[in-house]
Amino acid sequence: MKKLSESTTDLLQEIKAEAAELPQKNRRDFMLNGLKLTAGTALATTVGKVAAGQENLPPNIPAWSKTLGRGVVSVPYGQPSKHEADVVRRTVEWLTADEIASISMTPLHKQKGIITPSGLHFERYHGGVPEVNPDDHRLMINGLVERPLLLTMDDIMAFPSESHIHFLECPANGGMEWRGAQMEALQFTHGMISGSEWTGVMLSTILQEAGLKPGAKWVLAEGADAAGMTRSIPIDKALDDAMIVFAQNGEMLRPEQGYPVRLFTPGWEGNTSVKWLRRLEIGDKPWMHREETSKYTDLLADGKARKHSYVQEVNSVITSPCPENPAKRKGLMQLEGFAWSGRGKVSRVDISLNGGVSWQTAQLKGLVLSKSMTRFSMEIDWQGEPLLLQSRAIDDTGYVQPTYAQLREARGTNSIYHKNAIHTWQLNTDGTVNNVQLG
Amino acid sequence: MYNSVKKYLKVLVLATAAQGLFATAAYAQDPGHYGLGRIATEEEVAGWDIDVRPDGLGLPDGSGSVSVGEGLYEAQCASCHGLFGEGEGRWPVLAGGEGTLTDDRPQKTVGSYWPYASTLWDYTRRAMPFTAPQSLSVDETYAITAYVLYLNELVEEDFVLTKENFLTVKMPNAEGFFEDDRPDVKNTACMKDCKDPASIKVISTIAGVSPTEHLEEKGAEESEAAEPGNVHGKAIYKQSCAVCHDHGVAGAPKTGDNEIWADRLVPGMEAVVERAISGYTGEDGVMPPKGGNMSLSDEDVTAAVHYMVEQSQ
Repeated sequence: MKKLSESTTDLLQEIKAEAAELPQKNRRDFMLNGLKLTAGTALATTVGKVAAGQENLPPNIPAWSKTLGRGVVSVPYGQPSKHEADVVRRTVEWLTADEIASISMTPLHKQKGIITPSGLHFERYHGGVPEVNPDDHRLMINGLVERPLLLTMDDIMAFPSESHIHFLECPANGGMEWRGAQMEALQFTHGMISGSEWTGVMLSTILQEAGLKPGAKWVLAEGADAAGMTRSIPIDKALDDAMIVFAQNGEMLRPEQGYPVRLFTPGWEGNTSVKWLRRLEIGDKPWMHREETSKYTDLLADGKARKHSYVQEVNSVITSPCPENPAKRKGLMQLEGFAWSGRGKVSRVDISLNGGVSWQTAQLKGLVLSKSMTRFSMEIDWQGEPLLLQSRAIDDTGYVQPTYAQLREARGTNSIYHKNAIHTWQLNTDGTVNNVQLG
Repeated sequence: MYNSVKKYLKVLVLATAAQGLFATAAYAQDPGHYGLGRIATEEEVAGWDIDVRPDGLGLPDGSGSVSVGEGLYEAQCASCHGLFGEGEGRWPVLAGGEGTLTDDRPQKTVGSYWPYASTLWDYTRRAMPFTAPQSLSVDETYAITAYVLYLNELVEEDFVLTKENFLTVKMPNAEGFFEDDRPDVKNTACMKDCKDPASIKVISTIAGVSPTEHLEEKGAEESEAAEPGNVHGKAIYKQSCAVCHDHGVAGAPKTGDNEIWADRLVPGMEAVVERAISGYTGEDGVMPPKGGNMSLSDEDVTAAVHYMVEQSQ
């Protein structure tokens, strides 16, 4: 065995000398720290002979195997590895006037399952993220009810609760692509969707507690943010699967997702799941507020606009390969992606390698849940030939994801919202991937 | 006894509902099934229930004229929406655009697109001005609504909008909307020979509109380090200051306007930072303490001020 270098030996002597003057407990800690230090020095000495960049590769023992790691609660709330620092939400600055009434997108190219980590869930605010103190937060229920109620967070959390896995999608997802391909990244073409397990009280339970009066047809949901965000929800949806949600993926909602409580309307456009929910008013007609007239209505080519376009129709996209995940090698390759439908379960996903000339049915993977992100994949043997990759999802109502040509023929190009067209990635010979549309 | 009281309450409820009054003592006072929460008082409901519907439900007593609205609009709205409702930067255009809904580039404004004047009243009261929501009085809301309607040539110059005449305002695009009738397209799941391969034309993206810096090969640490200068100040600025200082809202010195900043810096950097922390009201504008975001520390505000000054020299 190689003798420790002179400098290391000196260091050990020094540590020993200094430690001798310390009380026992301190001495032990001091020695331990000192030994960690010498271990590092010794390693540095050994690896000096190895080619740069190979230090941690076999047959060498990697650095992290030769030193102690950090202890428990050194990071009381766990964080992703520093090597995953590029897995973050991103925005497209020119989309909105400022960053307060704006949107950021989920890095879908890095999402490895149907649950989006809460910190990566896409953000959409109309007046920024309010800092709500849960002790001072109240949910008011008024209007056509037997009992106008004022509920604290403790009250809300004392009702029977349920947990459901669902996607949440902004209706503007992909809206930049109506007129043609624009965005050279999956995060920007499809990143306004995320999936979570949502825990809360069924809205029907709370409405029952307040007691609906005859004539109750609509529910106005109002947020406590600076936009006082409001949407009118038909009573059928309110009594069906709408929830008053306080937790996401096992912990209380993140501030960006409506802490401490939000409405959640499964399968419907994201803005109807009003965040920082402070009030539900029951009425006999819709309120037709700004976010259901000026915004979130779909203008067609004939100048008429579709209103109350709540449901997010079936959609899908290939996440690997994509511009962020180029093909790195020839041979067997796993095509992977997500499909989802606001009307129910994804029943099938087809994949085309040739721009829609022919199709093959992909495999659905893992959990296939109603109104939830669903994984699909297909194995191909890629030998460097250029491909035009497409995915086409079908839901359990039999609805088939449409083409751009079909959507444009029905709606024109000024609808902004609800673009669920079949998407095309061009896989080039060198493995790079571009966003294209087919004429 | 209990049942008869309940029946009585029900009758009373129906009677008051018929008169169009929803909030009174007629509510059931017995607890619900779980007995959770408590009955909200009339006063509590009134404080939060400020919404207005197209049929006028929710409109409070009050009034406001086009001429009063003009002054309020110019002081509180024009910096974002433009003097004539034309919109600054990417802030919403409020006026014009009549007859453009079938154009290649339609302009959806209050006059050309919005179906109800009540929407304008409700949104102005609940969410405007952008940096100070729910700060307008009822009469101010009537006045600004009247003025925006005037900018759209929907009312005359001498018009006074009131609760009583509100429903006489007719919006040109009131009939322009229809209920969701999707699915409106019907694709089929063709599997073979679905199109002629020779007919496929590949249309690429327009270069330069998509952010792609993050796709370039570089480590995360490197990209962090590549960010120049005062990163913290920039982050605070973007989050809490840019709304006003990007555009000069409420007399705020615009970031990047070297001349105006040189002027503001005459009393010295320390004084400027102090104004930003403690607030300032003068002839040239209003600076709320910490820009209205009291969750910022003094260090945050200082960093943001330094960032703005760096950008304006």
